[in-house]
Amino acid sequence: MSTGSAALAPAAPGRAVTGSAIRQVRRGGLIVVLLTAGLPALVAATYAGVMADPAAAGGLRALAGNPAIRTLFGEPIGLDNAGGFTVWRVGTALAVLLGVWSILATTRITRGAEDARRWDLLLAGQLTLRGTVARHLAAVMLVPVVAGGAVTAVLLLAGTRTAGALTYGAGIGVLGLFFVAVGGLTAQVFPARASATGTAVAVLAAGLLTRMIGDGLADLAWLRWTSPFGLLALSAPYHRNWILPVLVLLAATIVVAGAALVLAGRRDLRGGLFAERSGRRPRLRLLSGVEAFAVRRMVRPLTGWALGIGAYYLLIGLTAVSITEFLTGNPRLADEAARAGFSLGAVEGFTATLFAILALPVGGFTAMRLGAFVAAETDGRLTLLSAQPISRPRLLGAELLATTAGAVLLVSVAGLTTWLGVAISGGDLALLAALRGAWNVLPVVLLTLAAAALAVGWAPRTTGVAGSLPATGGFLLLVLADSVGAPGWVRGLSPFAHLAPVPLTGVNWPATAVTTGLAIGSTVLALLGYGRRDIRV
Amino acid sequence: MGDSALRADHLTKRYGRLTALDDLTLEVTAGEVFGFLGPNGAGKSTTIRLLLGLARPTAGRAWVFGIDAADVARAHRLLAHVPADVALWPHLTGAEILHLQARTGSGVDLAYRDELVQRFELDPSKPAGTYSTGNRQKVALIAAFATRAPLLVLDEPTSGLDPLMEREFRTAVATARARGQAVFLSSHQLAEVEAVCDRVAILRAGRLVQVASLPELRDLHRSEVTLTYTGSPPALAEVSGVGAVESAGEGHVRFTLTGSPAPVLQALAAADITALVVREPSLEEIFLDYYGAADVR
Ligand SMILES: Nc1ncnc2c1ncn2[C@@H]1O[C@H](COP(=O)(O)OP(=O)(O)OP(=O)(O)O)[C@@H](O)[C@H]1O
Ligand SMILES: [Mg+2]
Repeated sequence: MSTGSAALAPAAPGRAVTGSAIRQVRRGGLIVVLLTAGLPALVAATYAGVMADPAAAGGLRALAGNPAIRTLFGEPIGLDNAGGFTVWRVGTALAVLLGVWSILATTRITRGAEDARRWDLLLAGQLTLRGTVARHLAAVMLVPVVAGGAVTAVLLLAGTRTAGALTYGAGIGVLGLFFVAVGGLTAQVFPARASATGTAVAVLAAGLLTRMIGDGLADLAWLRWTSPFGLLALSAPYHRNWILPVLVLLAATIVVAGAALVLAGRRDLRGGLFAERSGRRPRLRLLSGVEAFAVRRMVRPLTGWALGIGAYYLLIGLTAVSITEFLTGNPRLADEAARAGFSLGAVEGFTATLFAILALPVGGFTAMRLGAFVAAETDGRLTLLSAQPISRPRLLGAELLATTAGAVLLVSVAGLTTWLGVAISGGDLALLAALRGAWNVLPVVLLTLAAAALAVGWAPRTTGVAGSLPATGGFLLLVLADSVGAPGWVRGLSPFAHLAPVPLTGVNWPATAVTTGLAIGSTVLALLGYGRRDIRV
Repeated sequence: MGDSALRADHLTKRYGRLTALDDLTLEVTAGEVFGFLGPNGAGKSTTIRLLLGLARPTAGRAWVFGIDAADVARAHRLLAHVPADVALWPHLTGAEILHLQARTGSGVDLAYRDELVQRFELDPSKPAGTYSTGNRQKVALIAAFATRAPLLVLDEPTSGLDPLMEREFRTAVATARARGQAVFLSSHQLAEVEAVCDRVAILRAGRLVQVASLPELRDLHRSEVTLTYTGSPPALAEVSGVGAVESAGEGHVRFTLTGSPAPVLQALAAADITALVVREPSLEEIFLDYYGAADVR
């Protein structure tokens, strides 16, 4: 603080930290803002064309009465106008996207940087841990704020109603803020980035499930007040335009962010609330080679993902019978649903539609595993193994093998729990049919893994983006292409466009072969690249 | 070929416009302890990364016991490595990491490993996330010294160790040498290099400026001579190898001497010398000479 040192040190070290934090999130943040604002803009702009048929609008409104539909897609309210339709069609997907990105970005630039000891030097100066955490959270929070503002602006420009645009923009923005706060809190509680991210994502998944249950069961409707996604639904943009739930979510955000800052002020650098301080007996299982070790590192995150995916598909199984019975009783509605993109005629058709989106979480899992692999390389954890007599392709290959096995397991869990749910609710779905439906998405998952691997081999910095292209990118492309009536070849770029609705129909073998072939080719290229490039430390 | 542990041939690494390592040609013989010195940013770690195949050379090649360094699956069977910045898996304990390294490596002397754990006073039951810098370095050092690999490549392995542990480190290097292992040791600690190394190489701004044994290195450098005389001061100004002549008080003269002492001894034969003290240059002085020198070559 003395004037003598002021000339040497940057005039405002705090501002320099904020600046560096913003630089770390601006690229991903820009993509997220473009998606959250761009997708609704396109859907809203084309609403008139899609809804030209009055029967379509009426049919969709009738669906609102079915509890299962409400469970899975959210309450279809306000479908009579462009804004309401847009929110129902892409709102949940975008809220999940923004929430997941907020968590990943937050834990990456806080606990991740701390893990990699990048904060040691920072905190040797005048900055406190609490101040540093606060500045990083604020930097990530800029993104949901900008995204919320941008989505409101584009919805207004698209000519939708003002109150609805404001409610939706505020809701999704605050939802993003909430998950930044959650990521910030778990990053203080857990002394490692992986556990911090995993726990925050588990909170998100629980919030999503709670909303689904609250939407589906009238008796438990109050549950929606306990979930960020439920609060977003309660605000009912373009319908009730109720701002209270958004304020509740904002208050929760302030409490969680405050808790994160209090904890940050109390703990040590690189410590956590549950730091493993004391010694323990060695657990030597799965340490016998790189392949085994890759499995060992995967077990914990895999368990978390399996629980989340299992719970979601159990719920789908449980509601499948109710939905299909409802639709059989209302054949016109089934038609309308098909026109809206859901073939819900039979349990097989219904589950097939839901199995397609299984590629999203499982693809996310594979991309995340390779992201962790790159992080281990960058912070030097991989150096000791790289100096062992293990060829580079084998090192990456071990990771790819373990991740593939994990993905197969996750997909199978989804098939199994769906079957279980249907069986419990007295429906009729063969176990093998459920498993075939789930396994049908494996080529898309493998393509995601291969894209991430290709990035690891040739441009490790882009692993996150590359890994989310085939599944998340492909899915958004399909939603977009369907919503705006894009030319067929644009739709065809999405791997989802070539996915047959298994178990309703058979597997689209040619497409499966092409997708798998692409995945294998990319993997070979990835291994070649990883064998040739410098290890980055 | 059989007795060269490491060989670098015109090894060059460029990062964009920066030449981190420029045309390094070097050989380390089997069983020798080889010091690798240079100021910060000289290219020591870069050299080691090239020798280990962790980075690809822009030009040139390297061999480990005659095996191309790029063929890591074979070359690494013959070496063990301690990186400059040891990062460990935070959830694994020290013991688990040692186990993983042993199982993925090419042979470990388990009894000696346990002895090293004792000697370095490491608590292997703690998760690595709780280890200090020095403790992380100890884990990597124990893992490396415990192998039977004929070559140990250590990058500033003692930067985080306290003096007591530094002594254990020197003992471990001596033991490794006695077992016939070669050691390639990059370091800033001159006392350590002086204590354990047979030969040293000096790197500066990516270029090799000297490879020599320590006595050779000394011979190349100035010693400081102080004379005590009675009567008139000896005439030294014109004698070859003598420089910086200065009076060191009544009846004393001090000067530096480079190369053979014969001319000085001849010149002094005429004078009445009562005492003569020769001080060898410290390694530090030798290095300051190299580090400070303007562009070599
Ligand atoms: N991946 C990289 N990209 C760009 N430049 C690099 C990279 N790695 C090293 N350098 C540069 O190469 C030069 C040599 O670095 P190196 O780490 O080999 O030095 P060193 O001798 O080990 O230094 P120290 O004693 O500080 O460890 C430095 O100027 C460094 O900035
Ligand atoms: Mg170095």
